[in-house]
Amino acid sequence: MFALLLGYIDPGSGSMLLQALLGGSAAIAVAAKLYWRRILTVLRIRKPQQSEQPKH
Amino acid sequence: MTADPGSFRDPDSQLHVDDQGRVLRALTPRAVERWDAVEPSAALRELVETGRIVRSTRLGAGALPGAAEVLEHERIPAITYPYEWSFSMLRDAALLELDVLRRLLDDGLILSDGTLYNVAFRGPRPVFIDVGSLRPADSGEPWAGYRQFCMQALFPLMLQAFRGVSPRPWLRGAIEGITPAEVRALLRGRDLLRRGVPGHVVLHARLERREARRRPGEVRKELAKAGFSAEIVKANADRLRRLVARLRWSPPASPWDGYHEAGVYDDAAHERKQAFVSEVAATRRWTMAWDVGCHDGRYSRIVAPHAGSVIAFDTDEPTVDRLYRELRDEDVENVLPLVHDLADPSPGLGWGLRERRPLADRARPDLVLMLAVIHHLAIGRSIPLPALLDWLRDLGATAVVEFPHPEDPMAASLIGRKDPGTHDAYTLEAFEAEVARRFTVERRELLPGGTRTLYLVTPT
Repeated sequence: MFALLLGYIDPGSGSMLLQALLGGSAAIAVAAKLYWRRILTVLRIRKPQQSEQPKH
Repeated sequence: MTADPGSFRDPDSQLHVDDQGRVLRALTPRAVERWDAVEPSAALRELVETGRIVRSTRLGAGALPGAAEVLEHERIPAITYPYEWSFSMLRDAALLELDVLRRLLDDGLILSDGTLYNVAFRGPRPVFIDVGSLRPADSGEPWAGYRQFCMQALFPLMLQAFRGVSPRPWLRGAIEGITPAEVRALLRGRDLLRRGVPGHVVLHARLERREARRRPGEVRKELAKAGFSAEIVKANADRLRRLVARLRWSPPASPWDGYHEAGVYDDAAHERKQAFVSEVAATRRWTMAWDVGCHDGRYSRIVAPHAGSVIAFDTDEPTVDRLYRELRDEDVENVLPLVHDLADPSPGLGWGLRERRPLADRARPDLVLMLAVIHHLAIGRSIPLPALLDWLRDLGATAVVEFPHPEDPMAASLIGRKDPGTHDAYTLEAFEAEVARRFTVERRELLPGGTRTLYLVTPT
């Protein structure tokens, strides 16, 4: 489903995340969830996603 | 039939212009599926009926070889670019794009990108032309065009509104626009606290740096999992719209303010000039007229009733911006003001230098007005008269040209700024000899005051 919707432009990962932070009241819960995951990751309560380790 | 060299980024939807000048869009099966969802929507009907999106008609698969479906679009007289628009035009184009996005979202649709090259001006009204970028939205999907919108619309407008710096040279130099990191580096002090800057600029630049290595697909999944919804996209579009609508530019005082009233001409000369232009304009129906050095647009307005469209251009942005706002509020439908400098014109840009094209390739005129402008080019910008007339001849149009003699007060003042002798070749005799090599002079009139001559010329 998502593969189909990836368009022909690079939407920018940072730019997409930002939309979850700037969406006002509609976005508060989403922003909290997004950053809660990160906090858990930082505290090593949750394993980091594979994608967060850059591969070269 | 030629494929539009600026339409290759979306492989599913490519523009062609056929021999009769019809604008056709070839769709792949994937794009047809999208169009099937978009076409019956109330949003599209409403946006087309209010003139905000170009009208499109299905022609069937056979209309272009290899296409699963072909759309014919309503033709826009001239495609113009963001670096040719004044501040208010750029802002109105940005607002139109957000309005289109917002209306689509209500019907479960979205724009697949956010580029301002999707907008053209029909006279002084912006219209959305890239119908291929309309598609069904998926819940949990952020707007993929947000970054592009920031780079080509929001950041250029902020730069001009907050710092007074024209973004035009930058937009002309960088086809993608201004990056978050670049605008972050340019904004200083209290600009950083202005509405919209902490989020769209400061945080944007930081997140972009931090998330640079992550694939957009992963971020999309993460967002969907966290509950990202269409409501957030709508809220963002509304907030962006409010932000853009509040941006204001206070132009510096222009040296051209009150130019016409400055007493260079007496009323009799004005009247003769207006009568001359008006008589020429009325001789036939013109497809496209150019008013070079349009100033307050008075001659564009005279020609407008006799032309399909008029492009009024000037190098001075405050002048063009004021003309645009007047025309927009007056309901003049076929005069398009542009910031354009003949001595530093819009070049070919992008891939193969053909993705963005010079103005004459997009809007070839059949009537050109060059009133009170030759001396600025020939003396002020040191363009030799033969080169200037070669350029005019190459356009192949009928032209009304005003030649201020060297002793004309304006011409003399320009000559006086250069070393004596620099412009000795600028004489009435030299001008007339060069004109005669390229044109037939249909009419010639010395204006009252005796220091300016008007010519009606046709290419030989």
